Amino acid sequence: MADLAQDLARLQTASENPRAQLDYYLKQGKKVIGCFAPYTPEELVHASGMIPFGLWGGHTDLKLTKSYLPAFACSVMQANMELGLKGAYTGLSAVIIPAICDTLRCMTQNWRFGVTSIPMIPIVYPQNRTSPASVDYLISEYETVLTMLSTITGMMMNEKALCETIKIYNEHNRTMREFAVTANEHLDIITPQVRHAVFKSAFFFEKSEHTAILREIIEELKTRPVYDWPGKKVILTGIMCEPDQILDFFTENKIAVVGDDLAHESRQYRIDIPEMGGGGLKRLALQWNARYGCSLIHEIGKPRGAMLIRMCRDYGAAGVVSCMMKFCDPEEYDQPYYEVDLNKAGLPYVTIEIDQQNASYEQIRTRIQTFCEMI
Amino acid sequence: MYTLGIDIGSTSSKAAILQDGKMIVGRSVVSLGTGTIGPEQALRQVFFESGLSQSDMDCIIVTGYGRMSCEYADGQVSELSCHARGIHFLLPDVRTIIDIGGQDAKALKISEQGQLIAFQMNDKCAAGTGRFLDVMAKVLNVDICELGPLSEHAQNPVTISNTCTVFAESEVISQLSSKTAIEDIAAGIHNSVAKRVAGMVMRLGRPSAVAMSGGVALNIGIVHAMERELGCPVQVHRFCQSAGAIGAAIFAWEKSLEKKV
Amino acid sequence: MSEMEKTPVLSAADQAAPAPKPKRPKAKSLLMIGEQTNTLFENARLAKERGEKVGWSASIFPQEIPETLGLNILYPENHAAGIAARHQADPFLQECEGPLGYSNDLCAYAKLNLAYAAVLNGESAVEFPDGGKMVKPDFLLLTNNICNQLTKWYENLARQMNIPVFFIDTCYNPCDYVTETRVRYVRSQIDQLITDLCAFTGKTWDEARFREVMEISQRNSYLWERANNLMDHKPAPIGGFELFNYMSAMVCNRGKKSTTAIMEQLNAEMEEHIRQGTSTFPVEEEYRVSWDGIACWPYLSHNLRTLKKYGINMVASSYGKAWAIEYDDLDGMARAYCFASTNGDNATTMLSRRLEALKKFDCEGTIYHVNRSCKVMDCQMMEIQRQLSEMAGVPFTSFDGDQADYRNYSEAQFETRIQGLVEVMKQNKEAKCNG
Repeated sequence: MADLAQDLARLQTASENPRAQLDYYLKQGKKVIGCFAPYTPEELVHASGMIPFGLWGGHTDLKLTKSYLPAFACSVMQANMELGLKGAYTGLSAVIIPAICDTLRCMTQNWRFGVTSIPMIPIVYPQNRTSPASVDYLISEYETVLTMLSTITGMMMNEKALCETIKIYNEHNRTMREFAVTANEHLDIITPQVRHAVFKSAFFFEKSEHTAILREIIEELKTRPVYDWPGKKVILTGIMCEPDQILDFFTENKIAVVGDDLAHESRQYRIDIPEMGGGGLKRLALQWNARYGCSLIHEIGKPRGAMLIRMCRDYGAAGVVSCMMKFCDPEEYDQPYYEVDLNKAGLPYVTIEIDQQNASYEQIRTRIQTFCEMI
Repeated sequence: MYTLGIDIGSTSSKAAILQDGKMIVGRSVVSLGTGTIGPEQALRQVFFESGLSQSDMDCIIVTGYGRMSCEYADGQVSELSCHARGIHFLLPDVRTIIDIGGQDAKALKISEQGQLIAFQMNDKCAAGTGRFLDVMAKVLNVDICELGPLSEHAQNPVTISNTCTVFAESEVISQLSSKTAIEDIAAGIHNSVAKRVAGMVMRLGRPSAVAMSGGVALNIGIVHAMERELGCPVQVHRFCQSAGAIGAAIFAWEKSLEKKV
Repeated sequence: MSEMEKTPVLSAADQAAPAPKPKRPKAKSLLMIGEQTNTLFENARLAKERGEKVGWSASIFPQEIPETLGLNILYPENHAAGIAARHQADPFLQECEGPLGYSNDLCAYAKLNLAYAAVLNGESAVEFPDGGKMVKPDFLLLTNNICNQLTKWYENLARQMNIPVFFIDTCYNPCDYVTETRVRYVRSQIDQLITDLCAFTGKTWDEARFREVMEISQRNSYLWERANNLMDHKPAPIGGFELFNYMSAMVCNRGKKSTTAIMEQLNAEMEEHIRQGTSTFPVEEEYRVSWDGIACWPYLSHNLRTLKKYGINMVASSYGKAWAIEYDDLDGMARAYCFASTNGDNATTMLSRRLEALKKFDCEGTIYHVNRSCKVMDCQMMEIQRQLSEMAGVPFTSFDGDQADYRNYSEAQFETRIQGLVEVMKQNKEAKCNG
């Protein structure tokens, strides 16, 4: 009992205070590399003996970023820029920024000139994944990242280290997925807020450390009887769903989160790196090719609706909550299509706006309550 | 059996008492909202009108912005659900409800039974809300309640194209300096609000059997502009301001039936 | 008819001036543009009638490919610009943000086009202001060198109309050059695309024809850049805004001989003005500025009226040269398209290009169009402005506008900002004169 509470608290603390986690690693003499949302080759950082650290914004007033980004740039990038400019990320040896959407393209340049104390490493993922040439191209992008990492930090990797890292990351993926499934049988303990903290904390730990804590949590949960959740169940979709005030509204309305299609959470852990098929870099590139169901990764057919319907059926969810990151245009293109699909399948959905600079949550509370009254 | 519904909004407080969930025996509207003496006044007035007291109430449900801090209620329901039920009570044929308030605008799609099926909300942007009209009324130097009737006398409504309230304000000022007739400007303002709201409504699908509620529903200019935008008639019930409170009273009645079972 | 209903230089306001001027006849090159645009749409319509497959393409897709295959291609971005310029956008925007359920935040070209497509597809019932001349496509040609929103937009079109997308992923260049790895990736995609497109449309690839198209395209790029460069004369031979009119030739007809004719004509007209010391710019050229960003199509006449008031001529623009794409072979083509447009807009490249333009065209100020529809430009604009104005010592101003959504603009703001810029430019001019 104590272990479970302790483990969850540990992850909770890390999720609430990532700065403390960063300092924890820096004190150990480790180098830490900031990894921008949504996808970066963390494995390369890890294999080079450094700690990848996720940068997904946070609640902060916007002042300095206004000199770089217009009001209609997405909320999470506004926060990342602000935090970078005001020195909240001091200690990071570098940041990796994926130019995966229009705003992120510009972020590479804004950071390059705005936060000169933390070197910027860009990566441009291929979007035409049907082209076999995309694999070699991505491998070369990885190699550029590695060159920049080693030039900046002096840390290098080798093939053996990368293969070890890949094993660690796959193990972590599997464990995260297992946690999500196990959590559904213990929704009394794994509330939406706790679930989110577990997922969020993954970005602030060396992955095998996180896996170890997760494993303990899962084992402990499994010793308990299955809890039959009396309230309603939903799937979350979008980029991210926070802060805790919003997650608490779900609890307030006896709504449990039984699955998610969030870039911040399950989208990271859906696809493993192939165990075979070539060297480490190649297999990492093949993993990219296999990713699916994300607004930021080009896919034909608008498959997210069908995926969400499947998820609702698999996890017994009554509806979908679309967590719309403010000003995220890739998500905005997907929304009408998955809404139509959900409508056809008779699955209710509601949209809440995720604005990291938001101060008042009353309207979101009303929406969630109303949705609960509807499903 | 008497049930009480209270709607504590940001700028007004409303209460309604239903007998057996079917007949309105008391109704009050006070222009003071959450955090003021408004809710208290609304209660006193509704008890006075009905000749009943709080102890006569089988169940009390509270809704509206201030619903979370109401201690004497037996429960709270969101204003969207309450509104849906309330308007359905007043106008049983309605299937789409448009509620334009002071700070936000909502569109509700309801079933034959008055259940909420889907909703759209604009709660971030002043354009398309009562706030927009307030700002423009000030610029035109007319009373907000004159704005609607004024717009009905337009000969050549102008277009206010900007959806940003700040920019739209400067458009209106520019029209005034060009000596455009104030009626035409007022009509342009109303059309702008209607257009913005209609866009939101259309996301629920083509509407039929539409009713408006909320403070702005009392503005005849907006009602007519909405009719033009949506291409269908828009009803406004004279008790529409109490829709939320009535709906809450209905939920209270359903809750007390459950208790008895 | 060109996508401009009226020549931007003479507006209704001008014609209401106290001493009525005779209306200047439209330049021959502009008439040719009008004809060319008509032909483009008409050919597409006829092709559809014949049962041939017609495509829609992103604006900086390697047009050499469909041109070589003899395919009829239309361009949604250009078409949307025309609708916006003719003030016909409103019902499409309402439809897109209403029943189609899209966010207001999206690029207005996309919003317009998605609604237009919905009508073509029988989902919406908005009346076509142009008779539906933008015929329903059978396939899509996509590149993302101009932005990422295009990728999502075309994903949606593909599903909406159940048609294939032929995609060349032209990766963004954070460096000042295109890496060989990108060239190889893009080249590989080009090769595959040609095969796939031939299979889909039943056309065959002809090397000789391709070489011919490449030559024509190169010549057109050369002529287009040459015309833009003629603006370095003082006074500039034409009102700079007029160059926006010719974009349809470079966007939609870059590999055609009709464009060569238009460009030759345009160059000749401009050289004639230079010879005569005349200009189509309606007043004395008091100030020379560069314009950063696409035209604010719904408000071109207001823009022009305001600039004319102060004698401001736009002699350089970031958009003019974007379609001057140069290469010698397929690898070169891969490289050129990979670096085209905003793909080649990492900060250093953006700065060096603009600095060069400011110097070459002797600009005294810059006007930045903060185009609400265009995050890929706006999200790094502020840093560019700062650095550029310091490097070049040239003042700038910006205004909020939109390439196609008429609701994102304030006349009062534009006028105030331009007036402010004029005051600084005037001061600088006087200071210079006084030594």
